[in-house]
Formats: sequence, C-alpha cells, structure tokens
Amino acid sequence: MSLKKNTLWSFFSSVKLTIVLLIIIVFVFIAATFIPPHIVQAFTGQLSPGVAELFLLLRLSDLYHSFLFYLLMTILSINLIICSINRFPSLWRQYKAPNFPEPAGIFDNLPQSQIIIVGKDSSQIKQIIKSCLKKNYGSTKEVDTGKGYLFYSERCRFSLFGVYIVHLSILVIIVGAIIGSIFGLEADINIKEGESVNVANLSQYNAIHKLDFSVRCDKFIIEYYEDGTPKTYRSDLSFIKNGQVAKQGTLLVNNPLTFDNYRFYQSRYGTAPDIKAIVTYTNIGKKGGSLTLAVGDSFDLPDSNAKGSVLRMENNIMQMGPAIKLRIISPKKDIQFWVFKHIDKIKKMNSNLLTEVPMFNPGLFHPFVFSIDRMEQTYYTGLHIVRDPGVSLVALGGLLMVAGLIIVFFMAYQRFWVRLEQLGTKNIISIVGLSNRNDQQLQDKIDCLCRRIQEEIKA
Amino acid sequence: MSHTLILSGVTFVYFVSFVLYLFGLINGKEFWGRAASFFAWAGLAMQTIALILRWKMSYDLGLGHVPLTNFYESMVFFAWAIIFTYLIVELLTKNKIIGVFVVPIAFLAMAYSSIAPDVSNRIEPLIPALQSNWLTIHVVTCFMGYAAFTVAFGCGLIYLLKNMEKGNTEKPSGLRGKLPALAILDTLIYQSTALGFVFLTIGIMTGSIWAHYAWGSYWSWDPKETWSLITWLIYAIMLHLRHVRGLKGKRMAILALVGFACVLFTYLGVNYLPGLHSYLKT
Ligand code: HEM
Repeated sequence: MSLKKNTLWSFFSSVKLTIVLLIIIVFVFIAATFIPPHIVQAFTGQLSPGVAELFLLLRLSDLYHSFLFYLLMTILSINLIICSINRFPSLWRQYKAPNFPEPAGIFDNLPQSQIIIVGKDSSQIKQIIKSCLKKNYGSTKEVDTGKGYLFYSERCRFSLFGVYIVHLSILVIIVGAIIGSIFGLEADINIKEGESVNVANLSQYNAIHKLDFSVRCDKFIIEYYEDGTPKTYRSDLSFIKNGQVAKQGTLLVNNPLTFDNYRFYQSRYGTAPDIKAIVTYTNIGKKGGSLTLAVGDSFDLPDSNAKGSVLRMENNIMQMGPAIKLRIISPKKDIQFWVFKHIDKIKKMNSNLLTEVPMFNPGLFHPFVFSIDRMEQTYYTGLHIVRDPGVSLVALGGLLMVAGLIIVFFMAYQRFWVRLEQLGTKNIISIVGLSNRNDQQLQDKIDCLCRRIQEEIKA
Repeated sequence: MSHTLILSGVTFVYFVSFVLYLFGLINGKEFWGRAASFFAWAGLAMQTIALILRWKMSYDLGLGHVPLTNFYESMVFFAWAIIFTYLIVELLTKNKIIGVFVVPIAFLAMAYSSIAPDVSNRIEPLIPALQSNWLTIHVVTCFMGYAAFTVAFGCGLIYLLKNMEKGNTEKPSGLRGKLPALAILDTLIYQSTALGFVFLTIGIMTGSIWAHYAWGSYWSWDPKETWSLITWLIYAIMLHLRHVRGLKGKRMAILALVGFACVLFTYLGVNYLPGLHSYLKT
C-alpha cells in the first residue's frame, strides 16, 4: 500500500501519462518524416559549437535513434509495467469473483422482456432452463436459493486477460528490438562468381567483420521479362566451414538463406571489370580447339612451337562488337592481330579489309584461324548479411499482440444468471447478464436466451 | 469483356448507388435505400468479377500475379474493400444512411484510379522484391483495415452533422432528423475502429514479415512505415480514451476523422516523401 502513495509510482501508473506519451511520440514521428536530414545537417552547422555537440550527443539528427526517442520508449515501458502491476489485483478479484450469489441488485428493475411468467411444472422448467443455457454456453451451474433456483453460465472468462496479453506483447517487441540493436549485426559483401569471401563490411560503421566461414558464389543469374524488367536475381552459394562445403543453396530476393546464425539476402549485383572470351581455332588438316581466355592469359598452340597471349579484350570496339587482340610468338614470327566476333559481317561491309588492314585478319598466323564463340562477363553478387537474435522475440510479440487484440475486441467476458422463483401457481423466470464491455452484444444474447427459453417452454 | 471496361462500369454503378442513397436520405422512402443497396451489391459483384478477370489475364500474359501490386490495383482494391465492409455493416445494422458518406469514397477511389494522369492500369511484371505471398496478405489486411476506418469516418461525419442540431431543442426536422440515432453512430464508430485496428495491426505485422524476407530488416523507419505507425498510434489513443476514460460521442467522431486523415496520408501523401515504398509511385 505504501507503494501506491509514492508520488513517482502514481505518476507512472496513470493512463493519462500513457496518452500524453503516445501523443508526443506521434509528434516525434511526424517531425522525423517531414524534416529532411540535409536540413537538420545545415541547422547543426549554424549552431554554436557547444549546442551542436549536445545536438550530436543526443543524436537529434536521427530522431529514431535519438536519446529523446529512447527516453520516451523507456518511460512508456515503465508506465506500461506499472499500470499492469497496479491493475492486477482488481483484475484478479474480477477473475475470481464468485458466481453465487449474484451481484447485488442485478435483478432489480428488469425490463418486462427479460421476465417470463409461466404456469407449468417447475421441475420441467428447471430442465428447460438448464438445457438452454447448456446449448448456448456449454455448461451451467445452479444453486438452490431457498426461494427457488439460480442458474449461472458464462463465456470467455479468460478474455479479462486480453489487455494484459496486448500490453505484454508490446514489451516483448520492445525487448526483441533492444536485443537486436545490441547484439545484432548488419553487413554487406560482394562476391565475384567463382570466388569466395570471408569478410564483410559493416553497414553502419566503416569497419570490417570477419566471418568464421567463407561464402562462395558459384553462379549469379539474372532473368528478365520480355519487356526488360528484371524477373529474378539468383545466386547459387556454397558455405565453406573448416575447408568443407557445409551448405549449398539458392539465394533469391524474398528467399534468404541462413547459415551459422547469419541470414543472407540478395541485395545487389554488378559486373566485374574483367571479361572472358571463349575462343575457338582451326588448324587446316589438324585438330582445332577451344580456349577460355582473359586478358593476360597465355596459351600454347598444339602442333606448332607457337605460344599465344591475350593483349586486349573489348566488349564492343569501334561499334564492331566484341574483339580480342592476340600476340603469337613462334621461333620465326612475333605477330599481333585482332579477332572480331562478327568478322563475317565486317568483311561484307568492306571486302578489301583484310588486305588493307592485315591486323584484322583472324588467320594471320597461318594455318591457324581464330574466332570468338562468345564473351562472358563475370558478375558479382551483392549480399546483405544480418544477424539479429531479437527477431524471434519480435515475432512472438507480434503473434501475442494479434491474439490479444482478437481476445480484447471480439471475445467479451459475459456472465448470465437465470432465476427461477415460484409465486403461487406461477413460475417467474428472470434473466440478466453482465459483461465487461459492449452492452449491445450482451443485450442481443440476453434477448436470444429469453426467446429460446420461451420457445422451449411452449413446445 | 475486358476487365477495364467492367471497372469503368463499376465506377458508374457506385455513383448511381451514391445518388440513390442520397435520394433515400432526402426523401425518406424505403424504395430509394433498397435500390441504392441493390446497385452497391451489383457493383461489388461486377468488381469482384473484374478483379478475377484481371488476375487470370496476368497469367495469360505470363506474368502471373495477384492484382494487388501497383498503385492502380491497390486503389481498385481499396474501393472493393470499402464497399464490401460497408455492405456487411449495412446488413448487420439495417441502416442505409451511412452509405451516403461511405459509397462516394469508393466511387472517388475508382474514378481517381481511372482518370489520374500518372496512374497506369497496365498489368505490370513483378520485380523480384514484390514476388512474395506476404505482400499479398499485407495489402489485403491493410486495405480491409483502411476500409473499416472509412466506415468509421463516414459515421463520424454523420455524427457531427447530426450533433450540430443538438443545440436547438426543437423536434429534429429536415435532413438531420432522418439520420440514425447518435448512440448507434457512436457504437458503430467504435466497432469499426476496433475492427480496423485489428486489421491494421495484422497489416503492419505482415508488412514487416515481408520486409524481413525481402530486405533483411523487419523495420527500417521508411516514411510509409513510420506513418502507418502514426496511424496505428492515433487509433490506439482513441481506443484507450474510449476504454479507460469512457470517451464517447463528438470527440470520438472527431478522432475518427483525424485517424482517417492519417490513413489517407499514409496511403497517398507519403509517396511524396522518399523511401523504400516509393515503388508504389507509378
Ligand atoms: C505503452 C503504454 C500503454 C499503457 C501504459 C497502457 C495502459 C492501459 C490501461 C491502463 C488500460 C486499461 C486496462 C483496463 O481497463 O483494465 C489499457 C487498455 C487497453 N490498451 Fe493499453 N496501454 C498502453 C499501450 C497500448 C497500446 C500501444 C495498445 C495497442 C494495441 C494498447 C491496447 C489496449 C487496449 C486494446 C485496451 C482496452 C482494454 C480494455 O478496455 O479492457 N495499449 N491500456
């Protein structure tokens, strides 16, 4: 009891405080969405250094993570906890309230519609009342009051705790969010196709986070709709721990992968600067071949003493499409020439090309003739990595909140008493109900019960 | 018949229904109210068919998605949800006056979706971020919530209109005398707000589940998210005032209007602020 007199306690146990806090939070949110960050920055610049420092310290430029917002959330949580504790005893009394005798005076001044007078045998009527209550509410209790009988039924007594479930859910969500922000981590990595990476850049700070496993991107694929809109971004990933592939999986947008408490999200992609060419060559009378080449690669040509290397590789040179520049060194020669992918088309446009510009002749190193089968670009996939140990609590809170709200709004606690008394040869049946809310629905239920009892008696 | 043609028809039908509700209010004969309901039901049926046709057509085009993914489709669904919710309330309360204030909102949504210059009614392919069943549930629950809030808004308007006459003690006459009793409106405002609140709560939750799967963060404080939270808080304040402080009547009606303004800002206004949800801009 002494607790309740404490002024601090009573300050925190008031629902007025809740409402004021919620209104302040609404205004903080409105300010946060309407004031663009660059204006805040310009404003901070004009402040005197001392004030600006305070501004930074309280992080007012980022209201959602500001001291002010945290303070409001703290007061709100304390408010919520103390309100709940304060109200619990009276709620418990309500929960434990005895069914008999009925609350004083509830049978006084009943409207006519809730009183039924019949002349039948009272034991028969008793059965009828019992069966009607049972049919509507599952079970019923009765006592002999001396003057007659009193019956009792109820529904959804547990719904008294609906408010508690809703409020508890808010605390659970807040705790989950706090856990996430303290122990959670967000980072980004880019992985080139075929490569593996075990460090990530933290999203919020300029720092690197080392993973104790590595991630390999086996393949990255984009698919498009006919109109060119992207349809799928997809990375095939392998997770490698202690030198072994521990997990493989396909990562898609909206379909994250989990490994070792980290969740991986497909968030970006790009093309790596290096390209590859699949080059084929023929050698008259001998076996040809196919090579996969990148700039700087060198290769041997079979059945000759020649050695080739790739000097340049272009996706589209002088509007003539993909081309690579090769250098071939043999004991007798050291030559350089271009191999165009679309050499046939180019020759058609300029039939003397190969004699005018021998360097464009893919067969310059006789008897080999080179051609480009295709060029391949290497993609890198951009992954967002999250570790958030608070997510399951937040999800639990969400479920609790929905369950609690449904209980609060759609499952009212309703209690019904039916009194059967004998007055001379007549039986008087009086029907009343009590609910913790929503009188209209209760009235409907009472009317329904009255009608039902009347019908059964007639039958 | 193409679904866009049916939808233009629906727009017209809702307009007719609104005019008939208005006739019913002015003239008081039951016939007009019944005709108005008939048109509202007919419009709802047509719109349902049109939505199904559009859904089917998206599969024929090889795009295959629920018609709930861009601004146009959300607007059309908003209108559908308003009429659907309203007609259920009408069935439950047998009261046809609320239609005068609710049906025109559905009509305006339909009209806006078809004439607004920067709203495209093409069936568009879904970019990867939008390919999620959570998105569908998110949109449906949010808009069912918005629809319930629209009904609360309509009741709030009627309440205030009727309340204006309370000062003069003469027997209620003219238009306002035909409006439903204040107590009924008060209950309706409360009930539809509570219903909307539950839907909005589920809507916000499914939205964050979607964000969790798509972006790896269930809450990122983008303006649309923040505004949905503001709306949620406004209605939470309203419900607390009702439950804890017994607030009734005019103030509840005013809060229903304030809440609806927040709903509209969350839905339409926020698109002018930058953020993740700006894909909803067409
Ligand atoms: C965060 C601080 C909050 C505090 C201190 C608080 C406090 C209270 C109190 C004291 C009651 C009255 C309980 C009773 O009459 O038995 C109440 C009712 C209620 N609260 Fe809260 N509340 C808070 C937040 C919320 C929020 C954010 C929601 C949103 C869902 C909520 C939902 C409800 C509902 C639905 C009721 C009505 C229950 C009833 O009348 O039986 N509360 N709240």
